[in-house]
Amino acid sequence: MRSPRSAFAWLVAKEARELAAAPSWWVLLVAIGPLVGVTFINAARTYAEASGLNGTTAGVGEAFSPLVGIWSPTFSACEVAAVFLLPFVAIRLVAGDQQSGALKIEGQHPMPPIVRVVAKVVVLIGAWIVASLAPFAAVLLWIQYGGHVHLPELMTVAIGHLLNAGLTIALAAAAAALTEHPSTAAIFTLAVTVGTWVLNFVAAVQGGVWETMAGYTPPAMIAEFQHGLVRLDAVLISLVFIAAGMGLAAIGMRRGVAVRRRLRESLVLGAVTAAVVFACSFVNSSWDFSENRMNSFPRADEEALERLRAPLSMEVHLAPEDPRRADLEHKAIAKLRRVLPKVRVRYESATAIGLFEQTSPHYGEIWYEIGGRRQMNRATTAESALETIYELAGVAPPVERDEDIFRGYPLAVYPSGAATVFYGIWPAAMSAVALVVNRRQR
Amino acid sequence: MFAAQHLTKRYGRLTALSGVSFSVRAGEVLGLIGPNGSGKTTLFECLGGVLPLDEGSIVRDGRPMSDRERASTLFYLPDAIVPWPAQTVRWAIDFTLGFFRGRADLVEEIVRRLDIAPLIDSTIGSLSKGQRKRALLAIGLLMPHPVLLADEPFDGLDLRQSRDVGETLRSYASAGRTMFLSIHQIRDAARVCDRFVLLSGGRTRGEGTMEELAALAAARSGSSGSHRDLEEVFLALT
Repeated sequence: MRSPRSAFAWLVAKEARELAAAPSWWVLLVAIGPLVGVTFINAARTYAEASGLNGTTAGVGEAFSPLVGIWSPTFSACEVAAVFLLPFVAIRLVAGDQQSGALKIEGQHPMPPIVRVVAKVVVLIGAWIVASLAPFAAVLLWIQYGGHVHLPELMTVAIGHLLNAGLTIALAAAAAALTEHPSTAAIFTLAVTVGTWVLNFVAAVQGGVWETMAGYTPPAMIAEFQHGLVRLDAVLISLVFIAAGMGLAAIGMRRGVAVRRRLRESLVLGAVTAAVVFACSFVNSSWDFSENRMNSFPRADEEALERLRAPLSMEVHLAPEDPRRADLEHKAIAKLRRVLPKVRVRYESATAIGLFEQTSPHYGEIWYEIGGRRQMNRATTAESALETIYELAGVAPPVERDEDIFRGYPLAVYPSGAATVFYGIWPAAMSAVALVVNRRQR
Repeated sequence: MFAAQHLTKRYGRLTALSGVSFSVRAGEVLGLIGPNGSGKTTLFECLGGVLPLDEGSIVRDGRPMSDRERASTLFYLPDAIVPWPAQTVRWAIDFTLGFFRGRADLVEEIVRRLDIAPLIDSTIGSLSKGQRKRALLAIGLLMPHPVLLADEPFDGLDLRQSRDVGETLRSYASAGRTMFLSIHQIRDAARVCDRFVLLSGGRTRGEGTMEELAALAAARSGSSGSHRDLEEVFLALT
């Protein structure tokens, strides 16, 4: 009797079984519980104290956003797992076939290698979703404590980490398929991760094009998702990198093809990827899913800014490592870029840290130019930037609407039971499931 | 069935195969014989599409076979592999049957003939060399491809098992399946194969039945039929 299942379905089922047989996968599952536990319990405690627990003075509304106060730190455990645990799971699943010789058998099926890679990635993404149950257990606990959940911002954080996991999986798959041994693949994957950290460091010192490039590294991308911001260019570029990683893995998995040809194909893929990434970097749509609109100006200001037709040029005399520059970038420029069609920013500085430029009379100046009119301001807040822009454009500042003010969701509750769940029940349950699954597979 | 024409494979400066040519006939058991390092596994990996050829082609009905055609005609069973080590033999058989759309109707018979039943629920990684060889041969025989290339099918088997496996391979060949076996033990080859390809130093040293090879050896050495068995023929031709 012929099997009704497609070859792809057989492959996915096989990858799932191989994943379940991999100790690295169970280590990830067991470890992510305590990791989430540490971050969630600390975040919930701090949130409770800021909300007035044990007689502390209540904080400000901004501090009572569960997005910043709870979900960003809680889901950061996923970032640690994606960097230090997930690559080994992915490498094991991809390189295992090469090491055992299974690829010599499976590779004789006429199925294109990219389909093989897709089967592995599907299973690995599924594995990541299962691991994500740990932070979602924290969400359930938070709801049980009476905490507020704004689903769009929560899902933005989760999707950001899913995208990051996709990048890790694609990178690890490519490394595993292109190298002879899993340990080489692991070193290569970690080297790329460390490379992105170095890039972020260089960007902080040098600014300029490095800063632009660093904006597309996984840590920078995740930071935006953790603040409820979805930038289309970052999403597209991540997807392009994921596709490129899978493509490289498929090239590496091809049997019976000369190394020189595979190298040529890899170079072509690299060139195409670079071109598409460059094109995607010009896309500037973005969505702010944070409930407190932390990535946007108040609605009234956005409406006023949207009426401005002339482009805005800024000349900022601040060094890359000057904290005022980061302040200005996050509090004003990033928000302006989201609402104004054309914002051109030119940074001027003679040094990296700016400490020895303070005596320069122009250091710290921020020049705004609209329609040929220029004005200087030294403040780096959103309010001062808006005030200057309105003055230059001859627009009356809008009146702040009461409904635009975010009041926050204080919750002065100790995270009771969380330690039991994440340090006890989760690891025990995952260990038990590992035993049962492995016994049933035999 | 198909013919290999002038197959050449190099690893950097080392030439593993140099202009290897031979033909494979439908329904025969063809033995590839050669000492260690003669290029047998390289030849099989090239035929099975695992390694790329530098020169030469595999020809069927006078024209080179496409990759897809080759993939649907030849199934290569490598030696010294431990595929899916954490999975059971039962699962491996089910998976390969489903994945390659194999001969599910033959499962019972092949399991019985190769004495797989006692191993069926063991993980592949826990099997001995001989047990693993039998399990993998079962997978090879269940594949739908008309030609099975088996690298060292008797390696790790004891005398009785070698005999049983040899009989099983012969019976499927007589039912129409073509077997191309790489064997370094000449006695095993002599017992099972209809024809032989002798390989040494990456070159074909002879091709044919025992009688044809004996005649070739005699012609080359200038004697008149003094080579009585395959071992002597092999030594004379390589």
